Amino acid sequence: MADAAFASQINVHRGYLLRVARLQLRDPDLAEDVVQETLVAALSGSGFSGRSSLKTWLTGILKHKVVDAIRKKQREPQAVASFGGLDAELDIEDFDALFDDRGGWDAPPADWGDPEAALNRRQFMEMMDFCLEKLPPNTARVFMMREVMELETDEICKELTITANNLWVILYRARMALRQCLEQNWFAGEGRPR
Amino acid sequence: MLHKLTHSQSCRDVTRLLSQGEDRSLSWGERIRLRVHLLVCRACSRFEHQMRVLRLAMRQYRE
Repeated sequence: MADAAFASQINVHRGYLLRVARLQLRDPDLAEDVVQETLVAALSGSGFSGRSSLKTWLTGILKHKVVDAIRKKQREPQAVASFGGLDAELDIEDFDALFDDRGGWDAPPADWGDPEAALNRRQFMEMMDFCLEKLPPNTARVFMMREVMELETDEICKELTITANNLWVILYRARMALRQCLEQNWFAGEGRPR
Repeated sequence: MLHKLTHSQSCRDVTRLLSQGEDRSLSWGERIRLRVHLLVCRACSRFEHQMRVLRLAMRQYRE
């Protein structure tokens, strides 16, 4: 099946795979290598059965390559430097500014209405990318592992050697930040009642 | 009782539980407290809706 047509079909998803790898690795060269390995594996194997979409299948291969890359990186002596800064990202005090002393909303969420139209627009997905890229590195990595690679929480904890509690805090952070980013940049002005 | 239930849970706590609910199964008590709070709190109901939109958006992103 490794013909030119299949190769070009696979190549359509290269940009997506690269974005996803970059968000998890925060190392453009490494992300490039990992995507290259993914594409080579996709072309050399006979694994694509057509049961899932090509994109989903490629993402599955990428997942293993990314996890391998993270493992390798964590064994390096300078791992602390490249994967550091986690403690700072575990601090959720900054989101507490959204709430008053008793934990009530200071700036209540806006009504996003029926988002179906938005979700089908290419610009909305570009905005998602923009918001994902604004996340702190570890936060983006964990969120992508969870929501795009669809790894189980205990797998993520094991690979990144973090506790379940840390994981929940990081994912909470990610969702709060994405929510805020989308509200400010996409949904603002759609009848915000304040 | 109802009053106690709704006020034992702050909006901040509710947002944390709603997020954790996507990553672990909440206890029965947590789910009850969440539901009761959401019944009376419009802001948190909106937040819950926004989390649903985010989930759908990420599905779209993947597919």
